[in-house]
Amino acid sequence: MDAPVIDRNAADAVSPLVSVERLRVEFETDSGPVVGVENVSFTIKPGETVCVVGESGSGKSVTSLSLMRLVEFGGGRITEGALRFARPNGEVIDIVATDPEQMRAIRGNEIGMIFQEPMTSLNPVFTIERQLVDGLMVHKRMGREAARQRALELLREVRIPEPERRLKQYPHELSGGMRQRVVIAMAIACEPRLLIADEPTTALDVTIQAEILALIDRLKREIGMAVLFITHDMAVVAQMADRVVVMYRGNVVEEGAVEDIFERPREDYTRALLAAVPRLGSMRGKPAPEPMPILNQGAALPAEAAAPAATPTPEGSRAVLLEVKHLTARFPVKGGPLRFTIANVHAVEDVSFSVRIGETLALVGESGCGKSTTGRSILRLVDATSGEVTLDGWDIRRLSPSDLRKARRDMQMVFQDPFASLNPYRRLRDQVAEPLVNFGLARGSELDDRVALLFDRVELPREFLRRFPHELSGGQRQRVAIARALATNPKLIIADEAVSALDVSVRAQILNLMMELQRELGVSFLFISHDMAVVERVSHRIGVMYLGRIVEMGSRAAVFEDPRHAYTRQLLAAVPIADPRQRHLRDDQDYRPIASPVFPVGHTPPASEYDEVAPDHFVLRETQA
Amino acid sequence: MNYLLNRLISIVLTLFLISVITFAVTNILPGDVAQMIMGTQSNPEALAGLRKSLGLNDPLPVQYAHWIWGLLTGNWGHSLIFKQEIATLLAEKIKASALIVVLSMLIALVCSVPLGVWSAVHRDRWQDTASSSAALLGVSLPDFFWGIMLILLFARTLGWLPSSGFVDPAADFVGAVDHAFLPALALGLGLMAHLTRMTRSTMVGILNQEFIRVARAKGLAERTVVWRYALANAIGPVMTIAGLQVGYLFGSIIVIETLFNYTGMGWLTYQALLNRDVPLIQATVFVIASVVMLASLVVDLLYVLIDPRVRLG
Amino acid sequence: MRRFLTSKGLIGIVLVGVIVLVALLAPLFVSNELANKMFMTARLKGPSLAHPLGTDQLGRDLLFRVMLGSQTSLMIAASAVVTSLVLGLPIGLISGYFRGLTDNVLMRLVDTLLAFPALLLALTISAMLGPNLQNTIIAIGVAFTPYLARIVRGEALRVVQMPYVEAARASGTNDLKMIVRHILPNIMPQIIVQSTISLAFAILAEAGLSFLGLGTQPPNSSWGLMIQTSRDYLDRAPWTALVPGAAVALTVLGLNMFGDVLRDVLDPRAK
Repeated sequence: MDAPVIDRNAADAVSPLVSVERLRVEFETDSGPVVGVENVSFTIKPGETVCVVGESGSGKSVTSLSLMRLVEFGGGRITEGALRFARPNGEVIDIVATDPEQMRAIRGNEIGMIFQEPMTSLNPVFTIERQLVDGLMVHKRMGREAARQRALELLREVRIPEPERRLKQYPHELSGGMRQRVVIAMAIACEPRLLIADEPTTALDVTIQAEILALIDRLKREIGMAVLFITHDMAVVAQMADRVVVMYRGNVVEEGAVEDIFERPREDYTRALLAAVPRLGSMRGKPAPEPMPILNQGAALPAEAAAPAATPTPEGSRAVLLEVKHLTARFPVKGGPLRFTIANVHAVEDVSFSVRIGETLALVGESGCGKSTTGRSILRLVDATSGEVTLDGWDIRRLSPSDLRKARRDMQMVFQDPFASLNPYRRLRDQVAEPLVNFGLARGSELDDRVALLFDRVELPREFLRRFPHELSGGQRQRVAIARALATNPKLIIADEAVSALDVSVRAQILNLMMELQRELGVSFLFISHDMAVVERVSHRIGVMYLGRIVEMGSRAAVFEDPRHAYTRQLLAAVPIADPRQRHLRDDQDYRPIASPVFPVGHTPPASEYDEVAPDHFVLRETQA
Repeated sequence: MNYLLNRLISIVLTLFLISVITFAVTNILPGDVAQMIMGTQSNPEALAGLRKSLGLNDPLPVQYAHWIWGLLTGNWGHSLIFKQEIATLLAEKIKASALIVVLSMLIALVCSVPLGVWSAVHRDRWQDTASSSAALLGVSLPDFFWGIMLILLFARTLGWLPSSGFVDPAADFVGAVDHAFLPALALGLGLMAHLTRMTRSTMVGILNQEFIRVARAKGLAERTVVWRYALANAIGPVMTIAGLQVGYLFGSIIVIETLFNYTGMGWLTYQALLNRDVPLIQATVFVIASVVMLASLVVDLLYVLIDPRVRLG
Repeated sequence: MRRFLTSKGLIGIVLVGVIVLVALLAPLFVSNELANKMFMTARLKGPSLAHPLGTDQLGRDLLFRVMLGSQTSLMIAASAVVTSLVLGLPIGLISGYFRGLTDNVLMRLVDTLLAFPALLLALTISAMLGPNLQNTIIAIGVAFTPYLARIVRGEALRVVQMPYVEAARASGTNDLKMIVRHILPNIMPQIIVQSTISLAFAILAEAGLSFLGLGTQPPNSSWGLMIQTSRDYLDRAPWTALVPGAAVALTVLGLNMFGDVLRDVLDPRAK
């Protein structure tokens, strides 16, 4: 103990920077204290990246907030355990017992933190400069000018273009990716020994996620700081982690080196979690979508139904069900006292595609690319500006209101947010029965029978018939939404990010249910998603969208195995792969400005023209987008 | 530039609608205004004369056109009860009311913002319970009840301040404030309670935002986090709410000025309503609604200065 | 339900309950005759055993009068709120549900009406129609309508874009069913909260109108009217103002407390 310390680095190599010991956090609620996490222990060594991974409610964020003692501001209380932290002078303190004064000296100085929502992480009424310098002025006692210089340096370090101009700007003038860079610059301003990143890329598009992950990785190496990375995404874990802590319902399930966790998981929960993650490239060489393997591991997972046998979905027939031609949707931007149109948002620009009977066509792209508007225009939930939509002989865009009602029997929609897609004030039975009643398809006891059968169909117990939405979990609600969509025996179901809001294990089950329904009922899906790995798993054909246009279209194999358009390649390169041996964190130099879809009134963009690079594989001609 | 032009068109349109509504409301009477003014035992000739002088024989649109043309050309007509030019009457009374409205707004803002912030910071603890309960009581008491209590306490019992009358600030400033203080306080107390509640709920919302957590994670002192980071965001919404209360104040001055016998716009409006002095009612109602509209315009413009997200465009 | 049982919620419920009970049961104990009976020997007397809350300038018992006044005040306030609901709900729903040009025109009108202080509007309407009980209700009801219409529209706009409404539309639900089954139930909590708050404001407005002599007229008795008549006797008999004033304050306080708790319970965004 009194041995003279000769080599600080050698000493650091063995002694941890942070050691969390039997942490227990409780939250005060109306119905008494609730345990957020209990008996959580792990360590972080200097310079290493530890990923804490878990689904919602696992307590991963509570753990990170406890390390900053910020959990108290959210009504939490650390009731047991210790959080030992090695300060730069070699002193080891217990953060749980630290007084607020000293804690403030540590926060932002020795431990930096970045959060999930770049849109709300910055104070909207202060300039970027003001938010960057105040930490420096407090912790490093810098003068305003020195702090400004350092702020400039920081913006360069996180690779923000035109840093001088950015300092004078307000957060709303920056894009989401740029804001997250600013938040990172704030967190590393004082060169902390530990950076806590709480789901820093969850709210970002996949290409921007790749940039931010690479940025964090580079800074970690340059500054030599340790990173505690909180995420729900196993693929991100595989890309970032040195070691992994798996959490479930407030407890640590398993801890180990990243290769061990991915290749030799010891716990059932970890295995199930890994199995439920679609791996980009895992479908290589397979002709048709395939259900995901779901490991049934009893009580450890939420009580969703077990997996069906892994039979592949047969390829769809060649007959075309839905034909979309030159679909264009523009939305007016209104202004002035008389609300004149002053500009147009070109949400969908000359999009054409077809969906065959029994097949799944995926529209994939990042936020704002027009994929959702395309889906909603087909159902005429929004009115397109021009183009043709033909579903099974119905000319959808020219139907009278009463014919449109009839045509809607054949197409239904499943929405993203399971909490908003069911009316909270109606019983589930009534909501699933609604389309049947509206179309006069059944009444009386026949109605009851058909609704009950629909519940069986989506594997929900019949006791749920009389329940209200708030009594169900997210996955169960999404099943109800699917049952409602199935009620009229539609030929086409448009699934708009239908699994994006669900935890991975539940997501896999819902995806399998959809594939099973397609196999048994021959229903076609228009699957709208931002998630390349999921899309690869479920679809027969794929359209990649960017700025309102389809830039590449073809079979799954064509798009994933032989991508031709630059944007498709960029998108595929950005997807993190759930395999620690396939790391491809790109260096993050290229900052790609996001093009705006807003154009002045009267602007007519050119039509979309395609090259057929292979049979049924189309690429947008590059003069346009 | 575009923005200002837009605002200007909007103002003109709103003023036009205000005038239409004012005119409509003062013409909803099923009976005859002239009859109402002169009473039932009036002689028919005088009645006919009054009808003619009020232009009551014309169809309503023509009457409206006459009235609006008068407003635009500065001919606001004569008050029937005060036998005076309405324009001069209004100019004089508006000054008196401006004094108590501004004074009450100052009293309310100075007290309510710190109290609301303090309450939000100590959310759900005794400090919050105490100040929230007081504020709740404050919004539950009618203004004239505040007025009566203030008269009883400061004028009758303590004898510190006069309970009635108006003094022209140009003639005797101290006397004017002396006379304006109690009515302003009576107006300000209810407003203060309301603004305290609004500041509290705005601040509670802001303190739950992510950027506050980020500020704490930077190691800033709690003082800085609350009084700089959070409050800077609350100013805009609180100011908007305060601006909306100008309308409430202009309703309340009718009661308060009458109670304190303070001869301003509210008192004038009341006299006009009580005596069915229709030309004067139309003028006062139109002016008050216009002032309220302009107040909300001023708040909108100030918001642009405070919040960088709102752009002129 | 547990959230109702905070001290604030309990006090609010008890206050509102007691006052409504008094208003409903008053006729059983107090006849008009009794309330108007003048005890000539006991004018402007302070609280005593015979008259627990004292007497007014005509020697009438203030307890009886305040009890009887509760009926008028509550009845006017409740009827006014119902009037504003009847007028404002359709305007707000039509505006928020159908949007477009109708919405633009209606909301321009409503916004302009909002420039008129509610009390001024109510006073003017009452003065022009001639002050009486029925016109007081109309005046307050109309004056409150634009506020309600705005809130209903905002809520309808929020609900209309919920996925469950889109899903219902995709399932062939017609406009009427949509409004009745999906929009109304989901905006009901906000309407209930707003009605409670409006009720509190309506009681204040009625008191204001009557205080100025442009509301309830004698021989009817309301709290505002009692305060008005007390003004001339403030020096000698302050309780003549304090008793009805306290009645107004307690009622409004109870309603506001109830409304606050109701909002916390019903409005998911306030949690």
